[in-house]
Amino acid sequence: MADKFEPNIVGFLCNWCSYAAADLAGSNKLEVPATLTTIRVMCSSRVDPVMLLSAYLRGADGVLVAGCHPGDCHYQTGNYLARRRFALMHKILETFGLDSNRFRLSWISASEGKRFSEVTNEFAEHITKLGPNPLRKMPFIE
Amino acid sequence: MAKIGLYLCECGPNIADAIDLDRVAAEIEKDGKVAGIERHKLFCSADGKKFLAESIKKNGFERFVIAACSPKQHEGTFAEVASDVGLNPQMFQLVNIREQCAWTVPDKEQATGKALRFIRAAVTRVQYHQALEQKEIDCNPDVFVIGGGIAGIEVALRTAHKGRKVFLAEKGELGGMLKERGLLFPAMEPAGDFLGPRIDALRNNPQIELFENCKVKEVLGFFGSFVALLETQEGKEIELKAGSVVLATGAQAFNPKELAEYGYGKLDGVYTADEIEKRGVGKLLTESAKPVKSVAVIHCVGRDKLGYCSKMCCVNSMKIARQIREQSAETEVVELYRDLCLPGKGYDRFYKETEAKGVKFARFESVEVTGGDSGLTVKYKQPGGTGAELAVDMVVLSTGLAANPSNPELADMLSISVDESGFFVEEHAVLNPVSTMTEGVFIAGCARGPGDTRDTIVQASATAGKVLSSLVPGKRLQLETRTSEVSEKLCVGCGTCVTVCAYGATTLDESRHIAVVNEVLCRGCGNCASACPSGAAKHRHFTTRQLNQEVTEILK
Amino acid sequence: MAENNNVLVIGAGLAGIEASLLLSNAGRKVYLVERNSYFGGTVIKSEEVFPNMECATCMIAPKQSQLLEDKNIELLTLTDVTDVQGDVGDFTVKLASRARYVSLVNCIGCGACFEPCPVSVDNEFEEGLMKRKAIFLACAGALPNAPAIDMDCCLRAKGEDCTACKDACMFDAISFEEKDEEKEIKVGAIIVATGYQLGDVSRFPEYGYGKIENVFHAFEFERLRASNGPTEGAIKTRDGREPKSIGLIHCVGRDAGGYCSQVCCMYLTKFACYAFDKVEGVEVHEFFQELSTPGKAGQKFLDEAKEKGVKLVRARGVELSGNGEGVRITYQDGKTGKDTVDVDMVVLAPCIEPNSGADALAKLLGIEPGDFGFFKTTEFDPVATKRAGIFVAGCNEGPKSMQDVVVQAEAAVAAVLNGSKADTAVRRQDPAQD
Repeated sequence: MADKFEPNIVGFLCNWCSYAAADLAGSNKLEVPATLTTIRVMCSSRVDPVMLLSAYLRGADGVLVAGCHPGDCHYQTGNYLARRRFALMHKILETFGLDSNRFRLSWISASEGKRFSEVTNEFAEHITKLGPNPLRKMPFIE
Repeated sequence: MAKIGLYLCECGPNIADAIDLDRVAAEIEKDGKVAGIERHKLFCSADGKKFLAESIKKNGFERFVIAACSPKQHEGTFAEVASDVGLNPQMFQLVNIREQCAWTVPDKEQATGKALRFIRAAVTRVQYHQALEQKEIDCNPDVFVIGGGIAGIEVALRTAHKGRKVFLAEKGELGGMLKERGLLFPAMEPAGDFLGPRIDALRNNPQIELFENCKVKEVLGFFGSFVALLETQEGKEIELKAGSVVLATGAQAFNPKELAEYGYGKLDGVYTADEIEKRGVGKLLTESAKPVKSVAVIHCVGRDKLGYCSKMCCVNSMKIARQIREQSAETEVVELYRDLCLPGKGYDRFYKETEAKGVKFARFESVEVTGGDSGLTVKYKQPGGTGAELAVDMVVLSTGLAANPSNPELADMLSISVDESGFFVEEHAVLNPVSTMTEGVFIAGCARGPGDTRDTIVQASATAGKVLSSLVPGKRLQLETRTSEVSEKLCVGCGTCVTVCAYGATTLDESRHIAVVNEVLCRGCGNCASACPSGAAKHRHFTTRQLNQEVTEILK
Repeated sequence: MAENNNVLVIGAGLAGIEASLLLSNAGRKVYLVERNSYFGGTVIKSEEVFPNMECATCMIAPKQSQLLEDKNIELLTLTDVTDVQGDVGDFTVKLASRARYVSLVNCIGCGACFEPCPVSVDNEFEEGLMKRKAIFLACAGALPNAPAIDMDCCLRAKGEDCTACKDACMFDAISFEEKDEEKEIKVGAIIVATGYQLGDVSRFPEYGYGKIENVFHAFEFERLRASNGPTEGAIKTRDGREPKSIGLIHCVGRDAGGYCSQVCCMYLTKFACYAFDKVEGVEVHEFFQELSTPGKAGQKFLDEAKEKGVKLVRARGVELSGNGEGVRITYQDGKTGKDTVDVDMVVLAPCIEPNSGADALAKLLGIEPGDFGFFKTTEFDPVATKRAGIFVAGCNEGPKSMQDVVVQAEAAVAAVLNGSKADTAVRRQDPAQD
């Protein structure tokens, strides 16, 4: 391969904690991977597994969902519900022939700018090692 | 297709130096999805906002994307500009290419690529934005208070006002736990002197309607318009309408009968603190009418069983002890305690004053009361394990506070919860301590947890503060715009959304067999939209379609 | 004369924020006055709050943003109240605002001005655990998101013509010419929410604070654990080691002060949880006099910490001494006599005192300072002062938990909104007592 593999990672961030942490990482000029593009949702519970699957089918090399720490949810229990919904995610990915580590659910609070930087860099590194999403080449996409 | 404008904010050098905005503009133009692209040094400045408004008007843009800073900083700013130029405030998308791109990706080439992905996603997304209406509804400012103890009384007195009625329902008589109290600490004034004028004020207030000896049968409705059904002793039903409900059901003394070690109910001369107060702490006499010469006051009765410290009992028992000493200096009083709970600025002094009145204090780890012909024996283990014994004429059990057993039933009625001890659970332990998960339902006093009279009064006032500030007579309630909705066509009535909503905003409409969202209660988390198996629940402004468009564009 | 409906709230901590938001919601115009350059009070010093160990920033930041966007609320930072005249419904208040030298309108909070500033002084917000520049933001994420120039240490105050920060600013936000300002406002009611400070622990030589290197006070430990603090959340000794053992000392200054500060038992237990979370295998010893965990959540919180392994020691007469890099704790255990424990670091829980300036403010407002300098209220109306129309909320009335601070702020709002009418109907004629 001539070019170094550059993954394409989608991050869903909850408005109250993780999105704020991503902003704080910015204010503190901490590095966040260029390969991660984020989408703001009000609560991590807004993200559903189907949405994630469609991201993989469209070629996402990795998907990160980040929300408030358990117990800290702005909407009381949203992150617990998110956790339950994604409990099966790893299994589902494997059924699709994807490495289950292409999905990550993280709890990052509004004051954890540094943690946001660490988690995303570590995840991006991991995804880079895994290489491209094999579904990218599948004919049935689109 | 709607005419979309793209605005690139330089944010001084913050974005302009980190991202190649010329390339961004060129590439987006090539995509052919936007009708115009403009740049400004700083869109959030007064000059920038003016430029933005004029440009939108001049170009006739129907939607716009502004690539600048975090929506947490300026989403409101640009929503205002949108409104000013006659667009619905949802008709734009703010792209965060500062905090989440310019400032976090040091390589300009990479940062530009990332910014492009962000902007393309927004340009696609904004095409699917829908205008949302800022809804307002009329609300009923009246208050329905459940419980006629000091908490309920204070709430009623502090909310009854011109333009606002208060309905207070009490299943028995007014006065609550304070009826049984002798003096109030630390001021040592008779509880009756405190309670009496308040009950009079309550009865004389034309804005307050009292329903004594009434049971609450049902409460329906929601914030701004509740309907309650009461039942009198005679079985008559009364219907009330109110905008908010306050639960002030109080607590009750722990019953020491279930703990054998105190001999309560078996041994003569063993009383609870409440019983002593009810008898009057005047001249204490034994069952055989002899003057009491020695008293042991045992703290923390029921604490382990209850699982918490009731806060008010340490000082309350000191109050009793010093009254006994004041009545008769010959009477020996020993307080057996585990840990002295004297929180706040006044209680350490109260303790020292009590000690100065000759009340003795001894720490125990475990205790047992036994009876004999000559009186009572209190055997206790001291710290370190050595045993000790007191021979006394009387034992006073300082009991903790247990939750009102009627709480779970009321909690059910109002879709809130009680904790494992039976106290109502607040919406947020720190930030919303008198609110509950059902908007418009508040909790005050010992209904929400054990505390002293002062705590109860402040909480009752706090509840009044919440009611007075949220339901203002004549003022309409403004509703959240980015709420959820359920499509009648797609909904199969499975009720999944009902079970996941933390705010009781989704309910099943039994007649139509579909779920409906109450926009007054919905806080817009979008949880129901992802839970819905049939795609009927939709989170406005975060619809699956909008989010999927973002995802697709990012992954192109 | 028509009653003025505007409200002045003094102090923009947890109580002031809550009161202002509720008042605004009721349609009142609020002047929220804060003497610091940032708002959020002491809450924003914490990483997590008990009993649910929630992230403090996540909890308070949405309220702060809401407040900054609220058009009914005028937040005046770096501002003191200098005079109050008039009566309930018609107060005339003089405010003095110190120059920020940074325009809140122009500044976008990019922070480009920090780096070039040649001055370096202790950051008070970080309890001196890190440095700041003369132009500074109290901590990352502090709001409003604009720095202030501390003219006490700026080179310009020493006569030098330094323009480093101004040169770096691309938004023309810095003006050295900005002057202190005075302003007069009319309000109908006042809520005083000036908060608390921790008692000075160096008053008590037995704890060796300031002499023994690894003795910390509670705020220092909070900042050590803070993700946006000097160590980015790593608990470390002053010489940068990860502690293997920590001693937490309760009731520091309680006997001398004469009152229990109410929250220390709980927050030290929270500190124990911090330590267990951040430092693997750490030993935590708590030295207490009386364990006070009132309310429905207290015991459970303590039990959880016990499960994590905190060692609770009932102790009197605690004395600290240096022991190499560590600290030796000597105490009376009440059973066998004197005992000692050696630890790597010690955290003291000082008593909670009314904030500096409370006495002067009480005088200026014509309300009474009460016991221990906390504001005096009516016994069974714990927000009302002796002066009609002036109410207190939060820890300036007495030490209390964050929950109780919010409760009292909401209670003060009730007092403002109903003009205390219902209450005066039953209040007896006796003066404020305590």
